[in-house]
Amino acid sequence: MTSMDLISKNKSKIKVAMSVCARCGMCAESCFLYVANNKAPEYMPSYKMINSIGYILKKKGKLTKQEKEKIKEIVWDRCVLCTRCYCAFGIDIPWLISLARGFLREQNCFKTFDG
Amino acid sequence: MVKVKRKPFEEIVDSISRYERVLNIGCGGCASVCLGGGQREVQILNQELRLYFEKNQITKQIDAYIVERACNKKYFLNLDDVIKNGNYDVIITMCCSAGTQLLAEIYNSIPIFPAVNTIAIGIDRDIGLYEEKCRACGNCIIGYTGGICPITRCAKSLFNGPCGGTNKGMCEINPNIPCAWCEIYKRLKAQNRLEDILKIYPPVDWKNQMPRTIVQYGYEKRYTKK
Repeated sequence: MTSMDLISKNKSKIKVAMSVCARCGMCAESCFLYVANNKAPEYMPSYKMINSIGYILKKKGKLTKQEKEKIKEIVWDRCVLCTRCYCAFGIDIPWLISLARGFLREQNCFKTFDG
Repeated sequence: MVKVKRKPFEEIVDSISRYERVLNIGCGGCASVCLGGGQREVQILNQELRLYFEKNQITKQIDAYIVERACNKKYFLNLDDVIKNGNYDVIITMCCSAGTQLLAEIYNSIPIFPAVNTIAIGIDRDIGLYEEKCRACGNCIIGYTGGICPITRCAKSLFNGPCGGTNKGMCEINPNIPCAWCEIYKRLKAQNRLEDILKIYPPVDWKNQMPRTIVQYGYEKRYTKK
């Protein structure tokens, strides 16, 4: 099973999420990391989702090493999958973040906790 | 978080000796954080197993898959397809026992063996160094014991004061360990609330010996039969 299998299998759900997201920002207040980091926009769940799994889909999975490292930072350092984020439109943000992690894992790009 | 530690290699080998197609499932949650069962640890174990079986001229297929959270089915991602397509006859897991049991419940036609022991709920003292702090007794009184858990820190798990075997502040069971109740006394004294040590608690009744189901506040209506 390749990393693109994971994306292909869930492509329609990812596309729907990206188009349904109205960039309303309601998810922001639900993220404790956003609140704890001075409400920095890069911690908004919508930002994280769009710039991780959304980006992977946009680039059809063809990412440079730098792009993978950037997404790795988003989905591991800026999200702990606490699942507290809510979306007014019902987008399952934690699941989408976990898809991005799964994609990176298949490419042997993952966070270790002793670095 | 939950802390796990890999089982002895021989025990893992023994658990899969009868089988040919092995899937090793790791977890991106607690097991990864405590360096016990994440993606890297799964890769290392698989490589060790391959080398061992090659050396002994035994053919085995050993694959890996990491779920983001083994205790929540939503984060299994492609695992269904992986198991179906791989035709595995055994699964070993490097996630905690809770995750392993959920996997065993869902994939109940395949034998599942844990490759790690689930040790404790603990804290990170440093990278690779963890301390048990909680036994999930379900009856937390640490507010009145200065933040020191008598269930975990006392060798006899005494709930209402020391046993009388304290020797110069150390435990009579293991003289290298401080007596928990001495530590509780010192902490409460420093906070000027020694009267809290006089509070008597009813027996725990071993609530944690029966499997518990937790319904969080606000969710009662969702899960209660009408």
